[in-house]
Amino acid sequence: MAKLSRYRISPTRSNDVVCRMIGEAESKKTMMLTAGRYQGRRVELDGRMLYSFGTCSYMGLDKSADLQEAACTALKSYGTQFSISRAYLKCPIYDELETTLQVMTGRPVLVAPSTTLAHMAALPAIIHDNDALLIDQFAHASLQLATELLHDVPVRLVRHNRIDLLEELLADLSRQYERIWYVIDGLYSMFGDFAPFHDLVGVLDRWPQLHLYIDDAHATGWLGLHGRGGALTHLGNHSRVVVALSLNKAFAAAGAALALPNDELKTRIRRCGGPMLFSGPIQPPMLGAALASAKLHLTSSHALAQVELAKRIDYTLAAAQNAGLELATQHRTPIFFIPHDSVNEATDQVHALMRNNFYVCPSGFPAVPMNRPGVRFTITLHNEIEDIDALIDAAIKSAPKTKSPSICEFPEVACSSSETPTSR
Amino acid sequence: MPEYATLDKTLTAMYEVISFPEGSEPDWHRMKSLFHASARLVRITPEGVEFFDLPSFQAMSMEMLDRGLYTCFFEVELARTAQVFGSFAHVLSAYETKRSPYASSCLTRGVNSIQLLSTSAGWQVLSLMWDEESERNRLELSQLFK
Repeated sequence: MAKLSRYRISPTRSNDVVCRMIGEAESKKTMMLTAGRYQGRRVELDGRMLYSFGTCSYMGLDKSADLQEAACTALKSYGTQFSISRAYLKCPIYDELETTLQVMTGRPVLVAPSTTLAHMAALPAIIHDNDALLIDQFAHASLQLATELLHDVPVRLVRHNRIDLLEELLADLSRQYERIWYVIDGLYSMFGDFAPFHDLVGVLDRWPQLHLYIDDAHATGWLGLHGRGGALTHLGNHSRVVVALSLNKAFAAAGAALALPNDELKTRIRRCGGPMLFSGPIQPPMLGAALASAKLHLTSSHALAQVELAKRIDYTLAAAQNAGLELATQHRTPIFFIPHDSVNEATDQVHALMRNNFYVCPSGFPAVPMNRPGVRFTITLHNEIEDIDALIDAAIKSAPKTKSPSICEFPEVACSSSETPTSR
Repeated sequence: MPEYATLDKTLTAMYEVISFPEGSEPDWHRMKSLFHASARLVRITPEGVEFFDLPSFQAMSMEMLDRGLYTCFFEVELARTAQVFGSFAHVLSAYETKRSPYASSCLTRGVNSIQLLSTSAGWQVLSLMWDEESERNRLELSQLFK
């Protein structure tokens, strides 16, 4: 990759630092933990059942009887593995899954074994020698990793959500390169802030050479018509936009779905995207679960469940505001981040919340910048309103006694309530 | 009178130029006047020691900013001792780094070892070496700065 950096940070040194910092969190018993029983609403840790505010199963489908039954049926039909490359022979569930996902997204869909492998298949297949790539500095690690495969393509990092800097770079690069790809997350998984979709619509109009590649994994399933996510909701079926959706997280199955602007691109990635040829396929039980989840996403009951999650998100934001609990962003997402002044403060709060029977996630480097430690929690349909009230109360009681003035780090509210369907 | 006529002015300026808010970056122009052209910066971490001149330090800092390892930086002085002889000075300066100037607790603490040279431009930083506090490397201000 021709990453245009002015200084090479040693990968070994970076790994040494990450290893040390994760090790410190592990020694403080906030990371690298092992769960016991998992009931959706609660999860067992060290013999105690804690209210779970840490998973990304936003729609609560991980305990769906329909998905479990579909997984069992597929297991009995095709076994634990369908162990042959899709380039040779594929399990027939793939076709029905991709057809159903096409209805869900309104686009041709190619299913990949995971979101990471989807990026590794798609980016080298769709980005050409005469293209350049811009990537948001906070884009998911799987996207950063996939750009390493673009050997001769210049890659530049862009400060987070900075449309002004993006346009400066477009002005510069558009003179030299045929197409410029801007690679971003649709919903950033740590602070819970959206990509600036409204601004991006205008940027796409102004710069015909601009193409977007969006990892919308954390918005899949709970946001937009049939749970197609934020990117497709805001940008529609734009011919210069590629979206990767997760079939994990809210979808509660396995794999990823590349929602593509045309069939030609689907065929190209299917034929020459490395992991599509050389990696193992999704195991039949999880293909069965994915198909059941995709069908569920097309139902009115799923639309109603989306409305219910939206209510809980709004309730959490209001409860936090009323209680004076500072959050990094007010974006309407199921991801919430309590900023702290130090890792030690965040660790203390995680321990205090665990003592009060709540499981939440400590957040430090490398998941977030070194100067932005905090506590991340998520809301799913497993969480009852009284659980949310109790968590907010416990978070306030466990906050540092002398809290610094808040800093509004993500002031833009990108998504309004109109984006979650009230009925179908 | 030069801008950095006293040690105190130079050290105050040093903490100012390396600190910056969200969306900004260190004041590289001012840093160039504050640091001697032959200045060296030495960063000690549990992973090893890194040596920089001003251009390579700027390049390293900008790469860390671009990658989002940091998005802002605030460093303030906690305590200081200085020894002066003729045209040079050696300063031990304890610091803490913060998420914002108003943060109630710090991200890290450590000690800067600073060598300064008296020049026609005033006191300029000739060498800046720092090490961070850790479990095995406790910073006891009352002992170090008696």
